[in-house]
Amino acid sequence: MEAPAPLRKALALVFCDIAGTTRLTAQEGDLVVATMLREFFEQTGRLGTEHRCLIMKFLGDGFLAAFDNVKNAMPFVFSIQSLLSQNAMFMGRSLGFKFSLHYGNVLYIETSYGKDVVGEEVYVAARLNELAQPNEIVVSQVALERMPSDYKARAGASESREFKRAGKVKFRRVNLLGL
Amino acid sequence: MAASDAEPMPEVVTEAIVVIDLVESTLTSNLSGWYAVGRQVIRDLRALIGEVGESRGLRCLRSTGDGYLLTFHDPQSAERAALRAVEAVFELLNRVARRNREVPEERALNLRCAVHLGEVDIVSNDREGPHISLAFRLEEISRASLPAALNPIPPEQFPLQNYVLCSEEVAGILSRRASPWEMVSIGLLKLKGFPGWREVFRVLPEEHPADLGRGIRVS
Repeated sequence: MEAPAPLRKALALVFCDIAGTTRLTAQEGDLVVATMLREFFEQTGRLGTEHRCLIMKFLGDGFLAAFDNVKNAMPFVFSIQSLLSQNAMFMGRSLGFKFSLHYGNVLYIETSYGKDVVGEEVYVAARLNELAQPNEIVVSQVALERMPSDYKARAGASESREFKRAGKVKFRRVNLLGL
Repeated sequence: MAASDAEPMPEVVTEAIVVIDLVESTLTSNLSGWYAVGRQVIRDLRALIGEVGESRGLRCLRSTGDGYLLTFHDPQSAERAALRAVEAVFELLNRVARRNREVPEERALNLRCAVHLGEVDIVSNDREGPHISLAFRLEEISRASLPAALNPIPPEQFPLQNYVLCSEEVAGILSRRASPWEMVSIGLLKLKGFPGWREVFRVLPEEHPADLGRGIRVS
């Protein structure tokens, strides 16, 4: 059977990367890290379903999640962040989550390994994630404009960065500690 | 004084780094025997590498067990060393294809090749440094890596053997220098031990079917 044609969709893209796994591997061993990651992926999958995540793609020690509605993205991010203080597997291990959120047109495709999203906006979301500090989300201006006003109020100063192929991208940082 | 304190600092140079892996060499040796087949196959590969590398600045050729680590040097231009390395790898693949048509199947050579450019420490007939590790990470990429990549090509489009991958650095040089090879991004990948996302490219042979060039091209 032929795969369905790719669908171009405007989606909110959330990237998450766990900071501290290399140190944790050195301190507690790879079995502990593997168990922690299993728990992380299980909880993330569950929370993704709860928050109407369209696709969830696990990437090493992180994930990419896509949402039809950008308003579902931040509650999802907060629920993931709360794992650090509420889930015994993550507590006291000096781990941190680095998030990014971007909004843009992507190709939503069916592949041999499941659903995926591809396009330059995915690239932008990934590059924004590299700018995030632990317990912080870097939100592109495009995504922020589509979010409720209370999130805008929490965002830091506007910054920008030049990305290959995507050009200049404006973004702001939101500290997730204490939220 | 520790032994390492007495050693002089290694010479650091920028070289094109090539990692060549012989596909299923262990299986071939186990099935057909190391002395009967495996040893001759790996020696044939070494001889072919020597032939294609000799006039192209091949400076280091070290066995990795089931393949080779090569470096190419050009005293005038590191970029030219990268071009020579890619040229050598494609010439190697051509010679391997010709050889494979003339030998029984169990003696066939099938390769996975990766090319990177970076600063390396010269240690005897060996090279050390993070760029060497990165070249090995590139070589390890397979179809199975693609579901965890961003903007990946469909895994079915990724060949199983006899292909050339390169890093962003080499892809940049090939495009700047108007080389005869087309490149296709296979996606952004996280390479173990290296921070961030790295775009990895497949370098296509000069003559290739049109559909191989589909994807994100480097212009």
